[in-house]
Amino acid sequence: MNTRKYLTLTRAGMIEALQFKGAIFSIIIGNLVYLIMIYFLWKAIFASVDTTTVNGMTFEDTMIYLVLASALFYFMEMYLVWEMGRDIQSGKIILDIIKPMKYPIFKFFQLSGNFIMFFFITFLPTFIVVYIVTYGAIHLDYNILFFLVSVLLGLLINYFIDFFIGTICLYTESIWGINIMKEVIVLLLSGATIPIVFFPEPLKTVVYYLPFQAIYNSPLRLLIDYSMPFSERIEILGIQLFWLIIMILVSGSFWKISLKRITINGG
Amino acid sequence: MQKRGLLFYFNIYRKILAQDLKSKMSYRADFIISTIGMIFTNISGFISFWIIFKNFPSIKGWGYYEMLFLYGFSLIALTPVQCFFDNNWNLRNHVYSGDFIKYCFRPINIFFYYMSEVFDIKGLGQFVFGSLVLGYAWNNINLGISITIIIKLIISLITASLFMIAIMNLAASTCFWLLNSGYIMVMVFRFKDYAKYPATIFNSGFKFIFTFIIPIAFIAYYPSLVFLRPDDIPVLTWLSPLIGILFFYISYLVWMKGAKSYSGTGS
Repeated sequence: MNTRKYLTLTRAGMIEALQFKGAIFSIIIGNLVYLIMIYFLWKAIFASVDTTTVNGMTFEDTMIYLVLASALFYFMEMYLVWEMGRDIQSGKIILDIIKPMKYPIFKFFQLSGNFIMFFFITFLPTFIVVYIVTYGAIHLDYNILFFLVSVLLGLLINYFIDFFIGTICLYTESIWGINIMKEVIVLLLSGATIPIVFFPEPLKTVVYYLPFQAIYNSPLRLLIDYSMPFSERIEILGIQLFWLIIMILVSGSFWKISLKRITINGG
Repeated sequence: MQKRGLLFYFNIYRKILAQDLKSKMSYRADFIISTIGMIFTNISGFISFWIIFKNFPSIKGWGYYEMLFLYGFSLIALTPVQCFFDNNWNLRNHVYSGDFIKYCFRPINIFFYYMSEVFDIKGLGQFVFGSLVLGYAWNNINLGISITIIIKLIISLITASLFMIAIMNLAASTCFWLLNSGYIMVMVFRFKDYAKYPATIFNSGFKFIFTFIIPIAFIAYYPSLVFLRPDDIPVLTWLSPLIGILFFYISYLVWMKGAKSYSGTGS
């Protein structure tokens, strides 16, 4: 397989991401305000109980989890639904569909440059700061390897969920509504806003059977929970792989069926 | 230009609104999906509180129902900016493409005419949800109902809404001077999510920032003290209507200054 055409797309995306300095700056400021907010909020929350651990999480654990979750969010957020929706409305999508590459694959590599840039701009600095500030709380060992594999799987699951939602835009013109619904569901049920261990019982079990927790919760647990046995680590990756395959099958076939009914702008 | 009465502007607003609603109604599916999306966002905020309070009894002395009061209050206070001032989001595109020049030639107030052009119906879903949450909290705190308390509620809601409107006006007006400043609006718009927390959770430095620099504490915290902490109302709460009007007026002046200095794109 010729990989050069894919890497060219990646490179173009990286260069493109660097053009939006203002946007990157505002993302960093916005994220900083968010982190200040959750710091004080969870500090106040933990101050209201006598024990230091709640559901096995200390204040420090919770903060590490939430800070890294928000850093992951910025690097995984791809605005794919917006892009697909806009391209569908303007009819521009047809130019990408007729390219000599499958559309889902083309779109992924087009965005991949963004992933790489934001990994270095948002996630890595945040991680280094958290690591130094909470020195000793995060063990760096072979769990980094599990974490990186898990992030990649989470990213792919997130991509194919987005792709599925983006395909719905072929049927409805409501990009904003569809996107906000997806965002809310993913953010809440993936444990990006509140760690899943805090969820009360019936909800917690349900959430563990859904694909969303495989996006943020799985990599973060692999990174933070140092005492986790090897078999459980493999199990987490296995579940992620399972969801990835399901999502590829579902999104792929939904896209194929939907392609037949593209009629935008006479295309 | 001679002075025109409120009635004149009210009549114009009604006419423009009718046109806007007619065009919106041709996208009925979009309206329904957007409204559901809006309610999804609000429900997820509600669930977040529910999960936190399943694990913790209070946040710095603020109980479950008091937090819900703040949440419901903030949702209602954020409705006007959503419904009546949504066209701020398009300002950047109008300015960039040169379309904005058409507003400069109308014989009525530019700010008024520009904002009246879009009425965002999906904000009404938020209003209904916010009212339900506020009513639920109100009932459980046993605040009772009297004429005075209703008048107080209405005044404080209007006051609170002015702050978010002013923040968004200022953020939108940056596009008169900075090209493509949409990211500033996105960043500032996220701050509204933090309005639902009591300002007491911050240390004095950040309390100052969220009171005077990014005044989100006025969207729910300060006005709610009238109802939730009637024995201990700070001076800022009493001053908030004045500050709100002043802040709104300043944002209006900045917006108008940008609009007046607009020279079009030459096309």
